[in-house]
Amino acid sequence: MNTPLRTTNRRRLLASAWLSFVLLLALLAAWLPLPYAPATTDLAHVAEPPLQTAAAYPHHWLGTDPFGRDLLANLIFGARTALLVSVPAALFSTGLGLMLGSFAGFWGDTNLRVALGYWLASGSALLAAFLSFAGFWSTTAFLLLSGFTLVIVLATPRLRLLRHLAAFPADRLVMSAVALLESIPRLVLVLVMAAVQEASVFNLLLVLSFTYWTGPARLIRADLQRVKHLPYIEAARAAGLSDFSVLLRHALPNASRGVRTAFPLSIAALIGLETTLSFLGIGLPAETASWGRLMATVRLEPAAWWLIAEPGLLLLGTMLALRQLAGTRPTTV
Amino acid sequence: MLRFLLIRLLRLIPTAWGIVSVVFILSRTLPTDQLLAQVLGEQLDVGSRTITPAERQAAEQAVRHRLGLDEPIFYFSIQRASTSVGPQWHWNGLQNQYHRWWRDLLRGELGRSYRDNSPVAQVLAEALRCTLPLTLLAAALAVGLSLWLALWMTQHPRGRTFLLTALYSLDTLPLFVVALVLLYSLANPDALALFPAYGFGSYELADSWPEAVGIYLYHLVLPILSLVLITLPGLIAQLDASLQQELQTAYVITAKAKGLAFWQVVRHHALRNALLPVVTLFTDLLPALVAGAVIVEVIFALPGMGRLLADAAATRDYPVLQAGVLLITLVRLLSHSIADSLYLRIDPRIRSSS
Repeated sequence: MNTPLRTTNRRRLLASAWLSFVLLLALLAAWLPLPYAPATTDLAHVAEPPLQTAAAYPHHWLGTDPFGRDLLANLIFGARTALLVSVPAALFSTGLGLMLGSFAGFWGDTNLRVALGYWLASGSALLAAFLSFAGFWSTTAFLLLSGFTLVIVLATPRLRLLRHLAAFPADRLVMSAVALLESIPRLVLVLVMAAVQEASVFNLLLVLSFTYWTGPARLIRADLQRVKHLPYIEAARAAGLSDFSVLLRHALPNASRGVRTAFPLSIAALIGLETTLSFLGIGLPAETASWGRLMATVRLEPAAWWLIAEPGLLLLGTMLALRQLAGTRPTTV
Repeated sequence: MLRFLLIRLLRLIPTAWGIVSVVFILSRTLPTDQLLAQVLGEQLDVGSRTITPAERQAAEQAVRHRLGLDEPIFYFSIQRASTSVGPQWHWNGLQNQYHRWWRDLLRGELGRSYRDNSPVAQVLAEALRCTLPLTLLAAALAVGLSLWLALWMTQHPRGRTFLLTALYSLDTLPLFVVALVLLYSLANPDALALFPAYGFGSYELADSWPEAVGIYLYHLVLPILSLVLITLPGLIAQLDASLQQELQTAYVITAKAKGLAFWQVVRHHALRNALLPVVTLFTDLLPALVAGAVIVEVIFALPGMGRLLADAAATRDYPVLQAGVLLITLVRLLSHSIADSLYLRIDPRIRSSS
């Protein structure tokens, strides 16, 4: 059963409209004329159901949580937190995955052959960079290392010993890093890493990016392994293009389609992770508004259905819209 | 076959070592002031008399020594000296926390919990006693249900569309939302109070063992249901896709042509091949469910592995955290190897090529 094109378009339009609505709310959160700030506690109106216009003025349109905080403000600022964490984390992790995955997929284990001399040179340059970056600055060591690098670089074309080519096991390196990260369930890994960090938006972002890049990396690697044997790549090589421009101009635009469609999905997954972590009370500082934290307050007031329903519906709508954008519909062929 | 498995198992060791080392170093480089203050507060009865700073320092040192935090973390440490030119590398020898942890681990000692000073192995065993029935039952149910539903869907096209759409929307929600909705709609005195909301109940006090099992299972219904609901969409989507693909193939047409009933074609011909791509999903289920158990156990207040990890992470109880991560990593890696050997067993094509 194929869905007609018009329905698909209408669904996509709806999804984009919803997402831009959430995005606008998140962007303008600080300037919207909200009656209450998200952290303000109105102790006279605790756990109030939505649309109780008689009770308080200004009204709590969407009700309050057990601490008397306005739900409307918390939902809007929660949207801001969710997007502020998930979108940059998705960008970072996809970028990182794209880099490492194309490195592994395009060159494989044998194709990146570098002269021994350049190996040594890059090794000592890296060491020098690491030492100065880590703050262990010492002028003698730095001068020695950079001098060594320079000498090796100049000597490599002339000495036969240094010209000997050695293959760089790009694929094996990247894939073992992927295997290492994926050997723990992601939630447990993120939980542990977020718990040992100080709670802040930036740290959470780092933790999410460094645990999430494996998915895009695997995707791009698999696609590149398929694409790099196609005749047009061979033609590009035969035309004399360098490895790098073949990869960048010809192979990647074709191979990155999977990653591009998966991008909204990774945003959705990261929003899910963020809300889950906030629900558990880990990762974000306690005063940051978040959908997950809001839902956690239902434990204090089991009768307050709106504490689950409102953030839950927002979450459901956002996730469905993101999936719709990615183009993964239930496959009812 | 055996040799293959052995090689796979040997290959696991560096991965497990890497993961645990990273967790170790990450957790130990953090300030431990909060932890120390907590332990000190329990130990010193501050209310009865005032303690001098010197006494406090001595007590702190004693606690550090007892927890093994007074030793250096790794084999070497780098200190930035302000006077001399370069960094100071200091070789700490074998008297360091990292070395000691591994030495104890190889002797089978996992250390003691920082919080209540009970042996970590015992803490883990108690947690596993709660988590294993939960996750095993959930995994078995999920596998059974997904197989049954996928087979059912081959014969009911209309039900299939509906089911896939429903599962698709279910799949978008994080586990904690599903569990919360279940909890507050089915175990809530203000809504429907069909099921108990937390814990295991007092099944030890039951008169006979069938009754005890009954109480136990009754308390597990909602946790298992939420775990099954969250794993079902992925399993069914994969299984259904591969079944549909198999049903297009020539051998299925042949089977139909020779007059077999559709049910038999699906059951005996298509399903066996359709299971191939799903094997990894099945073997990954148990470790994945342990991660899911983190949330379910927090929501339904079950004293299991997931909750233990979450609590240990929140209170920086490193020995428990590390042992837990080690255990989960080992199970996950083991299940990967089992998947690989299963592939070898069930697919002769792979066997002949390897």
